[in-house]
Amino acid sequence: MRGFFKNEYNILTARIFLGVLLVVVSADKIADPAAFAQSIQEYRIISGPAVMILATILPWVELLCGLALIAGVLVQASALLSGTLLIVFSMAVISALVRGLDISCGCFTQDPAVSRIGWLKIGENVVLIAVAAFLYSSQNIRFSLDQYIRGQQSGS
Amino acid sequence: MTWSGKAFREAMVIAAFAVVLGFTSTAIRDKGLFAPATALSSGPQGKRPDTPTIIHLAEVKELFESEEALFIDARHAFEFDRGHIRGAVSLPLNEFDDRAGFVNSLPRNKTLITYCDGVECNSSIGLASRLRDAGFSGVRIFFGGWNEWQAQSLPTEASIQ
Repeated sequence: MRGFFKNEYNILTARIFLGVLLVVVSADKIADPAAFAQSIQEYRIISGPAVMILATILPWVELLCGLALIAGVLVQASALLSGTLLIVFSMAVISALVRGLDISCGCFTQDPAVSRIGWLKIGENVVLIAVAAFLYSSQNIRFSLDQYIRGQQSGS
Repeated sequence: MTWSGKAFREAMVIAAFAVVLGFTSTAIRDKGLFAPATALSSGPQGKRPDTPTIIHLAEVKELFESEEALFIDARHAFEFDRGHIRGAVSLPLNEFDDRAGFVNSLPRNKTLITYCDGVECNSSIGLASRLRDAGFSGVRIFFGGWNEWQAQSLPTEASIQ
């Protein structure tokens, strides 16, 4: 089992999986921050200018973390940040479900007919949080920009 | 798994970059926080004649019964399909730019009343401002929205059950 978590190909697969996912989900939100703000607002947790500020910043956090994971640079930091975001998003979804809100998730797409919130969404997030935790604890940097940079530094 | 101060500091750097990129990109594209500013008043007195104003249920009911108004639902089309004020049309705020033809087809001889879920949402205000910017005068905002309308058991209809 220990070998599985140390296997460099598993780490690479996890990086690419979470990285590509983060880049894809950020695209819709970056293109239309107002629609994302509306999705955030529907959770009825925060209101006012904070909604638009979050809608402005969060998609870029996702994009940067995704690109960093794919490139293999700042992997631990990106895993920490994306894992934290996923935990916060999950708590928002649970809070909305407990309050009986039937709203769109706003996670992958801003289309409300797709991706309504539900307990399945929590299950998806748990898997993604596990992947982030795995990457956070992995020290292996093979196939990464980090490895390339360190190779250059030690070579010079 | 052990806590890494270095990872935390690097995460803060990523977050800082996200703040800079987020604000810069929305500013350049006039999106989100930097979308054209809209004016809003809470009453008709002394304001620009075409400024959207908030109206309350009693006035909304009068306008509904006199059939002098067209209700415009700012919620997502999905919500609209599940139930809306009878006779309302759907124009989700985030689809405004893509539906210029529909916006132009809205009647100019009727009072347009925008609404969304209720006091928790602001899309009715945003939609009213966009309609004003598109040249519609006397747009009204029913701030109590769908929740207040439903609570009063006023006429509704749905496209899907």
